[in-house]
Amino acid sequence: MKNVVIFGYNRLAVEAMNRLDTDLYQILVVEFDEKLAAKAIAEGFDCKIIDFRNDDELRAIGIGTTVDVAFCFFSHDADNVFLTISARALDKNLTIIAVMENHDAGEKLIAAGANKIINPYEICGRKIHELIKKPDMTNILDHTVFGRYDLNMAEIAIPVGSYLQDSYVCNLNLNEQFNLILIGIVDKELGEDLHFSINEKQHKLDVGDILVVMGPANEIQDFKKQIANSSHN
Amino acid sequence: MKKLLIRYAYFLKNSKRYQRCKSFFYNLLENQHSKNKSYFDFFMIFFVTLSVFFIIYDMDNELSIASHFFEATVIIVFVIEYLLRAWIYSDSHQLIIDYHEKSQYLNTPFKLHEVLKIILAKKLSYIFSITAIIDLLAIFPSFRAVWFLRIFLIFRLFKLFRYSTSVKLFAGVLNSRRFELFTLVGFVGFLVFIASIAMYLFEHKAPNSQIKSLFDTFYWAVVTISTVGYGDITPQTVGGRFVAMTLILSGLGVLSFFASIIVAAFTEQMHILRENRTYSELRLYKNFVIICGFGRVGQEIAWQLQKDKQRFIVIDNSLENIHLAKRHGFLAIHDDASRNRVLLNAGINRGASTVVCTTGDDVANVYVTLSSRYLNPTIRIISRVNHHNNAKKMEQAGADHIIQPFQIAGLLAAEYVGQPVAVEAILGILQERKHILMDTLVVYEGSILEGKSILEIGFEQRKLSLVGIISTNELHQKHRNRYHVKHQHFYFNPEKHFICRKNDILLVLGREMSIEYFREQIEKSRPKTRGAW
Repeated sequence: MKNVVIFGYNRLAVEAMNRLDTDLYQILVVEFDEKLAAKAIAEGFDCKIIDFRNDDELRAIGIGTTVDVAFCFFSHDADNVFLTISARALDKNLTIIAVMENHDAGEKLIAAGANKIINPYEICGRKIHELIKKPDMTNILDHTVFGRYDLNMAEIAIPVGSYLQDSYVCNLNLNEQFNLILIGIVDKELGEDLHFSINEKQHKLDVGDILVVMGPANEIQDFKKQIANSSHN
Repeated sequence: MKKLLIRYAYFLKNSKRYQRCKSFFYNLLENQHSKNKSYFDFFMIFFVTLSVFFIIYDMDNELSIASHFFEATVIIVFVIEYLLRAWIYSDSHQLIIDYHEKSQYLNTPFKLHEVLKIILAKKLSYIFSITAIIDLLAIFPSFRAVWFLRIFLIFRLFKLFRYSTSVKLFAGVLNSRRFELFTLVGFVGFLVFIASIAMYLFEHKAPNSQIKSLFDTFYWAVVTISTVGYGDITPQTVGGRFVAMTLILSGLGVLSFFASIIVAAFTEQMHILRENRTYSELRLYKNFVIICGFGRVGQEIAWQLQKDKQRFIVIDNSLENIHLAKRHGFLAIHDDASRNRVLLNAGINRGASTVVCTTGDDVANVYVTLSSRYLNPTIRIISRVNHHNNAKKMEQAGADHIIQPFQIAGLLAAEYVGQPVAVEAILGILQERKHILMDTLVVYEGSILEGKSILEIGFEQRKLSLVGIISTNELHQKHRNRYHVKHQHFYFNPEKHFICRKNDILLVLGREMSIEYFREQIEKSRPKTRGAW
């Protein structure tokens, strides 16, 4: 189980928490505003009041030790930048996801060490643009992949000794064997870019390559299990 | 006779051909928003200018056959234009019908001379309008036999004003300040009158005086007050010079006042003029998007639409946002989008395909959504909701799609924790940041796709991946992986024997060029009788 700390209790934090599977993630909300903290507790969330400017208090909640992911969701960019710098200094491997309010805060958050920047306004704008440009596609994906249906996107890394190691993409046939669509492959040797499966038929899969697939949740689980089993054997 | 007239009036009212014909000439001559009018105006400006040059040239030269022929053409064109304008000025048949219905309702006799009087009064009001008089007088210079008619050449030049929008604009600006201008004219008239009388009294009997009559002093006063001062008449007496000094100083004041009135009127009218320009530019577009609110979300949409070369118009009541939009060359209106007039002017019923409500205020978004739905029941409305409690209200207001920024951002953040690579991949594909796209292809009736199975279409050979099929066709419902979304079904990863039916939508993944090439092939295979989709 991963430990997730969400700094700042607001609309975005609530939406993110609703999407996180509580079986997989242990979530802690951190606030410095007592009223908001009381509201979080009243709404059933595990919440602590700390001063995020104090490194000792950050360590006390597990930054640098037990925490795997930190969401910096404070409403002021300066607070998020300060928190990101502090958290990154305490833990080099911590996944930090920060929200930005003003456009120029993005670069600062990246410089401070955030892994992912969330700009709600940009995301919203782009989503509306998708709806204008490709209404049918966006509508379907919103309701299936991003919605209540069990159609999901997943990434699957190829472990050592799995049956997929050294096999060719053209032999995968995921759509027939597992009812999955292979969206693409990230080859660590070639960088972080996604390679499209159709163009890479002769691509040989190595350990550490990541397959990005789309399909029903149970099929994804079956595929993951098969890979895991083959690697254990 | 009366019955025949009434029957004829009703015949004209119901005749589509007559209405079409009249509407054509109305669009050509009077409709400011018509393209034909702009072409006609441009032609007439050229034609009138040419005719004036011909007349001036002919004053000193021998008349050629060509110039005779040209003058005859000018007369014909001007007369036809004059008559057409008289025709479209009023609907005489409607006046007859109105009178007939009124007399029937009141049970009074239908008096022919009364109707004719009404029709004549209407037509006379056209004949005596300033523009019609100018039009008529502009014909006269072509009659060379009477030389003094040449003076009416000036009216032919005035006629140019009719076709020029900038002159109309100036006249409109002056008209908007007529109260101030009348006051100024009254004041100037008063000053000129006093100065003329005073000057006459001082100078009339003075030695070496150039003043011979009251008209001389009036002429002097006008030349002086306008600060032109030719110097042909100068005051010789001390009293006269005092009058001149007072008049010169007053003239400065009058001129400054006049300039300030004109400048203020132009400044006031400028934003209306700019908006009118925006609206007229918009009339040329089809399928454009109306973006209500140019905040951070609205700006992002605008950038993306600009990249796609998709036309759009921005409406915002913040002047700062409008300046920003205009700086980037976007069409923008500074107004309140919740007003019906603004949405109508923006083209909600004329060319717009989508309305996007993106302000940060849910109340404003609901109101604009409701107004848009009321004005156009079929237009697509995409609305932003900031607080999730308001989503239901937005749906009730008539939004087709509701976007909640924090919900999408929260989902993205949560997904990123578990699978950052997949999230980046799908975002890259959806936002077209990568060379791989996900797009839709429509199965048109009679195209290469209709009636073919997935196996037969051969997506792999076309270097495409079929993700799924979106359809409303009930024939497909036996297939697996069916997801019900609104009125459609989505068949994820359909089997090889899945047969594509007309109007199905294929969701494919591939490089842009593969998708576009396939799209072209589908388009080419469509039967020619049907219009492009």
